[in-house]
Amino acid sequence: MKDKLTPKNIIFGLLICFLPLLMFGIDDIVAFLSQSGIYLGWPGGEYMLRIIVRACVYMMLAVGLNIVCGFTGALDLGYVCFYLIGGYTAGILMARLGVSYWVALPLAVLHGTVWGLLRGAPTLRLTGDYFAIVTFGFAELFFRIIRNEQWLVGAPNGQLRGIPSPTLFGITFNQNWHNYYHILILLTLVVFITYRLQHSRVGRAWVAIREDEQAAESMGINVSRYKSLAFAVSAAIGGLSGAFIAQFQVNISAPFFEFWESILILCMVVLGGMGSIRGAIIGAAILGSLGEILRPGLIIPYQFGNPRYLIFGIILILLMRFRPDGVSLKKT
Amino acid sequence: MAQLLEQFINGLVLGGIYALIAVGYTMVYGIIQLINFAHGEIFMFGAYLALMLITVFNIPFWIAVPTSMLLCAMLGMLIDLVAYRPLRDAPRLSALITAIGISLVLQNLARMIWSARPQQFPTETLPAFFVSEVNMQTGEVLNAIPLPGGGILPYRDVCILVLAVVLMIALNRLIHLTKIGKAMRACAQNRVASNLMGIKTNQVIAITFAIGSALGAVAGIMVGLSENITPTMGYYKGVAAFAAAVLGGIGNITGAMLGGIIIGLAEVLGAGYISGGYRLAIAYIIMIAVIVIRPSGLLGKSTATRA
Repeated sequence: MKDKLTPKNIIFGLLICFLPLLMFGIDDIVAFLSQSGIYLGWPGGEYMLRIIVRACVYMMLAVGLNIVCGFTGALDLGYVCFYLIGGYTAGILMARLGVSYWVALPLAVLHGTVWGLLRGAPTLRLTGDYFAIVTFGFAELFFRIIRNEQWLVGAPNGQLRGIPSPTLFGITFNQNWHNYYHILILLTLVVFITYRLQHSRVGRAWVAIREDEQAAESMGINVSRYKSLAFAVSAAIGGLSGAFIAQFQVNISAPFFEFWESILILCMVVLGGMGSIRGAIIGAAILGSLGEILRPGLIIPYQFGNPRYLIFGIILILLMRFRPDGVSLKKT
Repeated sequence: MAQLLEQFINGLVLGGIYALIAVGYTMVYGIIQLINFAHGEIFMFGAYLALMLITVFNIPFWIAVPTSMLLCAMLGMLIDLVAYRPLRDAPRLSALITAIGISLVLQNLARMIWSARPQQFPTETLPAFFVSEVNMQTGEVLNAIPLPGGGILPYRDVCILVLAVVLMIALNRLIHLTKIGKAMRACAQNRVASNLMGIKTNQVIAITFAIGSALGAVAGIMVGLSENITPTMGYYKGVAAFAAAVLGGIGNITGAMLGGIIIGLAEVLGAGYISGGYRLAIAYIIMIAVIVIRPSGLLGKSTATRA
C-alpha cells in the first residue's frame, strides 16, 4: 500500500498547523469555567499541547522504525537505541559542553546514522528472529552503558539535567507552542523524505527485499547496500527524535529509553499497518495519546498501577490474531 | 583464590538455573521455530505462584513447588492454545510479535496482582536446612559446607545444583527413551511429515510447552530462594537464559544446558572481576557475538544463515 498526497491529506495537514490556537482556547475556556465555579477536571491546554508534542515525537519514531520493519521487513526490537544515542549526544553536547542546539542536532543525527550502519554491517546476513535478537541486545548494551558510565553523563543512572532550549536570533524556544512547530517542521521533513524514498527506486528495492530477498538479489538489487541505506535512514530519524526530545524534556535519564519503549514504537507501527507511512502516523497518534490518557491518576485510579503496557500487549496480540495488516489498511 | 572458588560455585548454581530456563526456550524453538518471549514471564509466574501458595494459602514448601510447576505448565499450554496455535501458519514475525505481546501482558498482570515491590520467601516457611548462616562469635557454620579460605557453600545452593542436574538428566531421558520424546524429536525434524505419520502435532507442541514451563517454574522458585522476586525478573533472567540457548545452539537441548552453565559462570565472574553494572551486558555480548559469528551455536548443526 502506497501513501498518496491527496487534497484531503493537505487540508488535514493545514488543520494540524493551527492546533496550538485551539489549545490556548481550551485553556481560556477552562479558566473561565473554573472562575464561574465549574470544574471539569480537564488537564489544561498547555498540558495537552505537551502530550501532542510527545505524540509527534512518537510519530517521527514510528515513521523511522517503519523504514526497517515495514519497508525492508526486518523486525527491529532495539530501535530505542538510536533515540537514546541522539538524545544523549545532543544532551551531553548542549548541557555539558555548551554546544549550540543547531550544531548538536546534526551531530546527533550523524551519530545515530553511524551506529545504524555499524549495527547493520554484521547483521546484514541475518534474517527474522536472529536479527530481532541482535537489535534487542544492542539496545540493551547502550542502555547499560548510559546507566553505568558516569564520566560520560556526569551522574548515575544516566541523569542529564538542564539541557538548554535552542535559541535563534535572540529568541529562546522554550514555550510549548515553540516546540510544537519545531517538531512539526522536523516531522514534515522526515515524512517528506520518507515519502520520496518510498516512491523512488530505493523504496521499490526495499519492498522487493521484504517480499523475497533472494529473488530481489537475483534481479540485480544490491541487497546489502539497500538494507544498509534503510538502517542508516531509520537510525538518522531515531537520532533526530532523540535530539529533539532532549531539549524538550530538559532532563533525561536512562529509564526514559528502556526496552519497552522500543516495543511501544513497534506496537504503533503494527497497529497502523506495517509498511505504510500513514499507518505509522495513525498508530503513533492513537497509542501516543492513549498512553497519556491511561497514565495512572487520570482515568484509572492509582491503586490499579500502570496498566498501559498491559493494554498495549493485548492490542499486539489481538492485532496479530485478527488484523495482521493493521487497522488503517484494508484487510488482504 | 577463595573468592574465585566461591564465585565459581555461584556461577555454577546460576548456570544450572539458566540451563533450566534455556531448555524451555530451546525446546519450543526446536519444534515451532518461535522465540517464546513469554517464557521468561512464565518463569516469573512460577516464583510468584509458589510465593502466593506459601504465604496466602499456607501450603508447605514441598507441596507448593510441584503445584506451582503444574499451574505454570497449564499456563504455558493455555498461552500456546490461545495465542500461538491460531498463528501456526502465519508469518513467523507475527508469532514473534504475539509472543512479545504475551510477555507484556503477563509482566504487567504480575505487577497488578502482586505489586512491583520486591518480595522474598519468608524464611520461616522454608525447610530449615535452606537457611544457612555463620555464627560470628564461634565461627560455626550452620546448614552450609565451609569452603577453604573462609567462604561457605549453603546447602540451598547444593540442593539447587543437584535438582537442576537431576531434572536435566530426567529431561534428557524423556526425550530419548519415551514415546512422547520420540514424537517431539520427530516434530522438530519435520512437523508436516510427523503429522502425516499420525503424530498429533498440536498435542506434542502443547506437551512441549508444558514441560518447558514446568522447568521454568522450578527455576523461578530457585531464583526466589536467593534473590528478590520482582515482576521484571522474568525479563532479565529470561534474556540471559535465551542467550544461553543461543550459545548452545538453539533447538539443541544438551547445548542449552552447556550454554546455561557458561553464561552463568561468565555473568558471575564478569560481575565479580570486571564491573557489577555490566552483569547482564556480558550475556548480551556473548549472545550477539554468537549470532554474528556462529549462528548455529556451540553444538547446533550449521544451517546457513536461516534463523
